[in-house]
Amino acid sequence: MSFTWKIGGEAGFGIMTTGLLFSKIASRSGYHIFDYVEYPSLIRGGHNAYEVHVSENETTHLNKTIEILVCLNKETFEKHKFRLTSESLVIYDKDEFGIISDYKTINIPFKKILSELKGQPVMKNTIALGASIAVLGGDIDVLLKIIEEQFSKKGEEIINFNKQFANVGFNQVKNNYKTLILNYLTKRKSDVKLVMTGNDAFSLGSMIADCRLYVAYPMTPASSVLTTLASWQKKTNIVVRHAEDEISVINTAIGASFAGVRSSVGTSGGGFALMVETVSLAGVTEIPLVIFVSQRPGPATGMPTWTEQGDLLFAVHSGHGEFPKIVLAPGDIEEMIELTAKAYNLADIYQLPVIVMSDMLLSESHKTVSKKFVDDFIAEYKVNRGKISNIKASTFAKASVDEQNFLRYKITEDGISERLIPETPGSFYQANSYEHLEDGHTTEESAPRIAQVDKRARKWQTYLKSDFQLPKIYGDIDKADVVFVCWGSTKGVVVEEQKILLKKDKASACIHFNHMYPLDKEKIKGIFNKKKRYILVENNSWGQFGKLLLQETGIEIKEKLLKYDGRPIMAEEIINKLT
Amino acid sequence: MSTINDFSGYNPTWCPGCGNWGIGVAIKQALVQLNLSPSKVGVVFGIGCSGNMNDFLNAYAIHSLHGRAIPNAIGIKLANHKMPVVAIVGDGDCYGEGGNHLIHACRGNHDITVIVHDNGVYGLTTGQVAPTALKGFKSKSTPSGIIEIPINPLSLAIGSGATFVAQSFAGDVNHAIAMIKAGIEHKGFSLINILQPCVTFNKINTYQYYLQKVYKLPLNYKKDNFKTAVEKSLEMNEEKFPLGIVYETDKPSYTDQLPQLEKKTLVEKERFSDFEKLMIDFI
Repeated sequence: MSFTWKIGGEAGFGIMTTGLLFSKIASRSGYHIFDYVEYPSLIRGGHNAYEVHVSENETTHLNKTIEILVCLNKETFEKHKFRLTSESLVIYDKDEFGIISDYKTINIPFKKILSELKGQPVMKNTIALGASIAVLGGDIDVLLKIIEEQFSKKGEEIINFNKQFANVGFNQVKNNYKTLILNYLTKRKSDVKLVMTGNDAFSLGSMIADCRLYVAYPMTPASSVLTTLASWQKKTNIVVRHAEDEISVINTAIGASFAGVRSSVGTSGGGFALMVETVSLAGVTEIPLVIFVSQRPGPATGMPTWTEQGDLLFAVHSGHGEFPKIVLAPGDIEEMIELTAKAYNLADIYQLPVIVMSDMLLSESHKTVSKKFVDDFIAEYKVNRGKISNIKASTFAKASVDEQNFLRYKITEDGISERLIPETPGSFYQANSYEHLEDGHTTEESAPRIAQVDKRARKWQTYLKSDFQLPKIYGDIDKADVVFVCWGSTKGVVVEEQKILLKKDKASACIHFNHMYPLDKEKIKGIFNKKKRYILVENNSWGQFGKLLLQETGIEIKEKLLKYDGRPIMAEEIINKLT
Repeated sequence: MSTINDFSGYNPTWCPGCGNWGIGVAIKQALVQLNLSPSKVGVVFGIGCSGNMNDFLNAYAIHSLHGRAIPNAIGIKLANHKMPVVAIVGDGDCYGEGGNHLIHACRGNHDITVIVHDNGVYGLTTGQVAPTALKGFKSKSTPSGIIEIPINPLSLAIGSGATFVAQSFAGDVNHAIAMIKAGIEHKGFSLINILQPCVTFNKINTYQYYLQKVYKLPLNYKKDNFKTAVEKSLEMNEEKFPLGIVYETDKPSYTDQLPQLEKKTLVEKERFSDFEKLMIDFI
């Protein structure tokens, strides 16, 4: 069993909050969800919509068909009716607008109820949630409990005032539309689940990894990491700085990381463009840094609130000069938690910038995650600060008299030199943006230049040997008729579409990359050595990963499914490509 | 006790007669007099002739990018607010490329000391105008004379919320030492603009020029009066250069206002581990 519920209305009237509440209602009722928001880049007057795909099994994608569409205005119906079938249910207020309909309709007199109960316009949402629960055969107590939690600080009176709207919506359906009631949301037993976005997962992953400073400038779709971590400051003691621009953002983080504090920054493509000069600084000074880049369609301001995977090559090649960096691109919420926490370790172990890529789809869509999965991960995760010198003052002759210059950039076999936390007595060093000697002093001589370039490059070799992960393969390549190749957030839809194919007796496989750069040429060639129909699936127009794969391994995937209208890829679109 | 030698790295490569020599000595002397040692101070260098002090001054240091020393310094301070943090920058570096950072560091009253070498030119790139160059100054990038008027660093900083703004002159090392010491000791954002002749590329703002145009603020000067401080700083627009602490006021610094840092620095804190508190938001 699975269904899609969607609500739409004018921007500024609580659609986003209502959508998230529906996701939580479904999760608390024992179901898995994956949701998606549509909103324009403005605060009032535009159209907002929120859809939730609910399933008994784990879900990571959107379905084309909408089973229940809640229209708080006529535009919602007009914009989304192409996804309805004759079995779909449309909830709307007959007094506000009429619809010509081949669908099942439920009339809820929102306007009348509001005026009778003296409610605010946003309370339409509560009525809508009550009606939705009723029509889905759900338990209204789940919503009533959420209302109690939401308004717990405001007292009994406010709680009861809000509850009545939920009840009225619920009873409207129960009393008048008995025959239309479905058993889609009946309470079922399941373990405790968390309803999280990719940005939530990056935030939580950062806390798990002991990140102590997050610096950012607001930019959609990365902004909610800034606001989430800022709201956690009192609970966690993390320091969050909203700096004057992205240049200051990344340089603040570099300063703190130099001083020994795990630090990260987050932005989207445009903000990352401003940071790039300092990505190069992190490279040459070998200061660890985690950079979260949540993509949206560019170029320039592009389509701020929509989705695209258009910045992979930009991230991979970011920064002037030649220096190593690591790029990761989690495929779902669980991977976001794991790879975020891993990114902090990699940054410390290899002393370089690690970029964690997301996009609007992954950053802002909620998915249910088993709480046990998160608990287990927290228990397993170990902070690894890499090579930090444990030099004590006593090592040196006498602190503050004979302080010695530390060999911060000592030539080593694995390319990694010991770091020293500033204020360690008895020593000092400079992290130098100029090419430098082992002790950090500037040099323009040939031999030390070559030695340092080679040393830094060796970190990549060490990483490929020790921490690089090959793409995960979903399905059996040997038996597959077709092999999809994808990266990052497109994992969800490709894996889902494999299930649909399987029902049609068509075996497929999916090669999903999340360790994007550097790539291990020989190992990857081993995966692509079978004669198959390979199809590259990307949410961009260039097939950027295809280009990267060709550049790094010589493997060329000729057949491509590319989508770049700002919308996520849907399973049906992949199926259609095959036929 | 540390000595000047503890702080001395390589021998400087500045031009003979360059004002940087005086500033370089003054910085080291101030650190010695404050009883600091290279392991107890964080320094961020910008890019330019001034930033090249990186190899001549021992400290836990970042030789940063052009214009970016201030946010690096803020980051070090956030991580370890008990350590004195100094940014050593040039006028093009701090007032041009990094101008935005200066304004916002003032607003935040970040407890860092910014020492600006103000010589009116870009020395390291062979003498193009800096934002502090006088109107009409002819340089390789402005052969007919610069059209813009010079930036006024003192009034800019005071107006933006800096709580310590001073000016000194590279030709008066003792005065520079006193200003640098006072700046580092001040709790909050401090800017020290040091007028500095560039003997190679600036034939206007020479030692002679400054000796005629600088004057020390009188002993009875009230440095805590915002209005007088702004008036004093505006004298620079008429080529009169007051030396001394033009403005100083006592306000809580940025890190003073972070309850997270009340007991321990960020770097020495224990790891956060109560994840249940966070997960409740997602149920």
